[in-house]
Amino acid sequence: MDVNRRDVLKALMGGSAMAAVAATGVPMAKAGKPESFEVAPDALGLMYDATKCIGCRACMPACQNANGLKPDTGGSGGLYMQPDSLNAHTKNLITLYTAADGHERSFMKKQCMHCVDPACVSGCPMEALHKEPHGVVGWDPTLCIGCRYCQVACPFNVPKFEWDKVNPKIVKCELCRHIVGTSVTEPACTKVCPTHAVIYGKRTDLLAEAHRRIKEKPGFYFEDRVYGEVEAGGTQCLVLSHVDYTNLGLPKLGKESAPAQERRVNDFVYRGFLTPVVVYGGIVAIVRNRWKEHLKHGDKPGSGEVHEEEKRA
Amino acid sequence: MPSEAIQTTEPTTFRNGVDRRTFLKVVAQAAAAIGLSGTMAAKFISAVEKGARPSVIWLHFQECTGCTESLLRTSHPGLAEVLFDLISLDYHETLMAAAGHQAEEALEAAIKKNAGKFILVVEGAVPTKENGIYMQIANKTGVDMLKHVAGSAGAIVAIGSCASWGGIPSADPNPTGARGIGEILPGKVIVTLPGCPANPYILLGTLLQYVALGKLPELDELGRPKFAYGRTIHEHCPRRAHFDSGRFAEAFGDEGHRLGYCLYKLGCKGPSTHASCSVLHFCEVVDAWPIGLGHPCFGCTEQSVAFRIPMLKPAEIMRPTPPSTYAPVTSPQGYVSPIATGVGGLIGGAILGAGWMAAKKIAQKEETAPATTEKKGDNSGTSSKE
Amino acid sequence: MTEHWERCVRLKEPLKTKPFLIVAGLAALGLLLGLYREFTGLGYVTGLNDGYSWGLFKNWNVTALTALGSGGYAVAVLAWIFNEKRFHPIMRTAVLTSLVGYGTGMMALGFDVGRPWNFVWLGDPRTWNHYSVLWEVAVCMTAYFMLALDVENMPPFLEKLYRSEDPEKREKALKIFRFMQKTFPFGIALAFVLPSMHQSSLGSLMYLAGTRVHPLWQTAWLPLLYLVMAYILGFACVLLVLALSSYAWDLGWDADILGRLAQVMSWTSLVWIAIRIGDLVHRDVLGMAFAFDKFSLYFLLETALILVPALMLLSKAQREAPGSLFRLTFLTVLGGLFYRFTPTTLAFSPLGDYRYFPSVAEILMSIGFTALAVAVFLYAVKTFAILPASRGKIAAEEAMRPFDTL
Repeated sequence: MDVNRRDVLKALMGGSAMAAVAATGVPMAKAGKPESFEVAPDALGLMYDATKCIGCRACMPACQNANGLKPDTGGSGGLYMQPDSLNAHTKNLITLYTAADGHERSFMKKQCMHCVDPACVSGCPMEALHKEPHGVVGWDPTLCIGCRYCQVACPFNVPKFEWDKVNPKIVKCELCRHIVGTSVTEPACTKVCPTHAVIYGKRTDLLAEAHRRIKEKPGFYFEDRVYGEVEAGGTQCLVLSHVDYTNLGLPKLGKESAPAQERRVNDFVYRGFLTPVVVYGGIVAIVRNRWKEHLKHGDKPGSGEVHEEEKRA
Repeated sequence: MPSEAIQTTEPTTFRNGVDRRTFLKVVAQAAAAIGLSGTMAAKFISAVEKGARPSVIWLHFQECTGCTESLLRTSHPGLAEVLFDLISLDYHETLMAAAGHQAEEALEAAIKKNAGKFILVVEGAVPTKENGIYMQIANKTGVDMLKHVAGSAGAIVAIGSCASWGGIPSADPNPTGARGIGEILPGKVIVTLPGCPANPYILLGTLLQYVALGKLPELDELGRPKFAYGRTIHEHCPRRAHFDSGRFAEAFGDEGHRLGYCLYKLGCKGPSTHASCSVLHFCEVVDAWPIGLGHPCFGCTEQSVAFRIPMLKPAEIMRPTPPSTYAPVTSPQGYVSPIATGVGGLIGGAILGAGWMAAKKIAQKEETAPATTEKKGDNSGTSSKE
Repeated sequence: MTEHWERCVRLKEPLKTKPFLIVAGLAALGLLLGLYREFTGLGYVTGLNDGYSWGLFKNWNVTALTALGSGGYAVAVLAWIFNEKRFHPIMRTAVLTSLVGYGTGMMALGFDVGRPWNFVWLGDPRTWNHYSVLWEVAVCMTAYFMLALDVENMPPFLEKLYRSEDPEKREKALKIFRFMQKTFPFGIALAFVLPSMHQSSLGSLMYLAGTRVHPLWQTAWLPLLYLVMAYILGFACVLLVLALSSYAWDLGWDADILGRLAQVMSWTSLVWIAIRIGDLVHRDVLGMAFAFDKFSLYFLLETALILVPALMLLSKAQREAPGSLFRLTFLTVLGGLFYRFTPTTLAFSPLGDYRYFPSVAEILMSIGFTALAVAVFLYAVKTFAILPASRGKIAAEEAMRPFDTL
């Protein structure tokens, strides 16, 4: 009974068990990549100026065609492309906001906001939703398991799911990344917009243009600010409007993105996987003593003895 | 007549009494008709002056001659200008004076002289059943004639729905096996100009472009020139605003019909029909086209529509677009089934009830002396176990 | 009157009783509907939509059932870390509830995801998004089920193997048993760390939804609250299972074990309430609890269902009366399960005007998977020595327990 060797063996086995535990956590110990949570220097996006939009909706059929989507004619009995919200057939939607008293009107173009630090990307377990070059948020069908966490996480309620398919996809605007750069230079919606209400470009340029417009007409745009500059850590698709943004369906969001908050909490608890390892080691140490005792005094068959527990307090 | 009066190898001779100025005017009109610019018109003129009046051979098969007839209803250019100044129509059974052996000889001569350069225009479908005996000229079946002439043609144009895809002879049950010429001549580039009749200006535009620029207009996957067949009637209809706003004629002669509302509910096939009738009206009279006259389009250019889908049956919308109303910023989504709600409520109630009963029974059993009555397997409240 | 549970026994009841057949029938129906779902799509068997994309399956079968199935974890903590040796006889029952809870929960998850064929990528670390709490839940639950839970549930199976006539099988059983004895501390530490991680991550899931969860529930303390609630529901589930088993199969009532378990559960509930209320005060939203709108009423109901039984169970009399013990534990379970549904569904407001209620097929499938857990439980307790019993009730020779120390 070489106690030393046995102890060494136990330590080795413990070490390998810990390694197994750590293996699930090694990726968590990877240092965060802060550059992927900040604006990429060549980030591209859209800017939609609701005050210039005339509601022609040329962008809707253009988007359908560019993305090979079947138009949503269900609500009209096959007559019109008439989706009432983004859905599995509609990546881009023009809606109309009318104030209750009828005095205020604005169109609103709804599509993926391509956040700088997207909640959907943070939540997706398999990186099916990920940031492509230029910060575009893309979806990869080969990795997606269809858990729909992205739908729970997105503050703008953008990703849509094909509920009626056996091979369902997550459907959302991807800034025409499958054709931009190859056959065209801009997304379909900006290409057909007759008033250039929605424009495409680098986020820095779009922000500069937005600020220029705000400066040119002080008091015209709502709260003299552009939506998406800081909301939820910033979005690459910006909105300018003369009516309250919440009326257009854009939620009030703080400056810090939800993923950033979650990362903070996780780091605090896990400390790069240090906590689980330390706790594991601690539990092993505690249990080992109790286990040794249990082995010594354990019930033998037929021994009518049972541990006399410590009495209840 | 044409092959005798006009020699195609000599430089163009103007007809008696037509000066160069008139000729230029005709050419300019012709060019304008197909949207060619002034520079293009000049190119066309120089091409014609150089004696490049192309040879055209026109074959007829199973047809009503409507497409030829429609050519008579043009004025810029008129058929006379076309025949005498712009092209050399070397064979045309309706218009040529010759008949019998003379006509056949003229055909062969024209083929031989202009082999590889002449434009073959085909009007009418070709029957294929029983080796094509249902259409024969001089003991030659349509199939053989077509293959013989097409073999030497420089360009092939199928005018009218019959030549394009079979047209009315091919309607069910298609007893003669009528087919469009594309099926008889596989692998060849054929400009198809469907329509019943085809609008004559589409043919003129195609021919003049070929003469002026030496190439055919851009064709779609069915061989139709995109400048004429690129849009559906629906996409260029003057009544489109009525469609988008939901204003429809419900019956012939009703209020909506008289106000010129959309004819979709009367079976208009405009949404599934590619054609240019809504802009290129017929007979050079404004609004002289079916919808303009208050009758729904029946889709004469489309093989899947014309003579197949009943007149009054609503059309399939090929490329739907939004109506004139807008979706609000939020609209109700999701369906709650009342049955499911009821079922859910019942189950919730059952669980609560079961839990309560279990508590009572356990109290009874355990708080008194252990009962001997076997309450085996009484898993009331099983679902609450987990 | 009060028994003293010492050993684990195999129930000598026939398997095919009426309740078992009913439960098995429901399970079969659920699985059939699951098969139908595989061939048609989620939209055909559920009432889920783009606003409420997580519904009954995720929130009941995956989240709630695994919380109820935290009994193995929670009782093990008491038995091994707090050295409460009295709980050893009920360990097997507890880990069995964990096994069936997690097993059917993960099966239901397999039916709930839309593209299950891509699950294979869970095995390829290159595709892992380690910032995602859902990834953590998936990997950790799988690791827990494969590395810890099935090992914890091995002893009854090994015992049966040891009783076989074949000496080879006996030798194998002994070998595995010896190995388990050697590595026990490392295994049980794993069975502590892994569930701590994923039960708390289940709470973090809704943290990412940000402002879409009502402020009365949305907090950075969600992971801790979910973890503590897992303990509560674990204790409660073991309590209810033992109470019902005792009633159904005449196991007697061990007031010592059950009373102590209820006491610990009540303390844990009070801790939970303290964290909950403390968090609300700290974030200055306690006022919302008394706004008496829909959310306020949910909160008050949920809190009452946890707090009132906890307070009442502090009293020895309440703990010693089996009826009231069962009732109060049942109410606690209802409260805890309600808490599983509030941040995810009832207090979740997707942008837009969405409404959701599970469809009939969805409800039946959910019941089916739960019934499957019950059916497996019934089968296991009648095949292996799992349920605790006192020596007086069961003759010693019928006690199948050659392995004393597990």
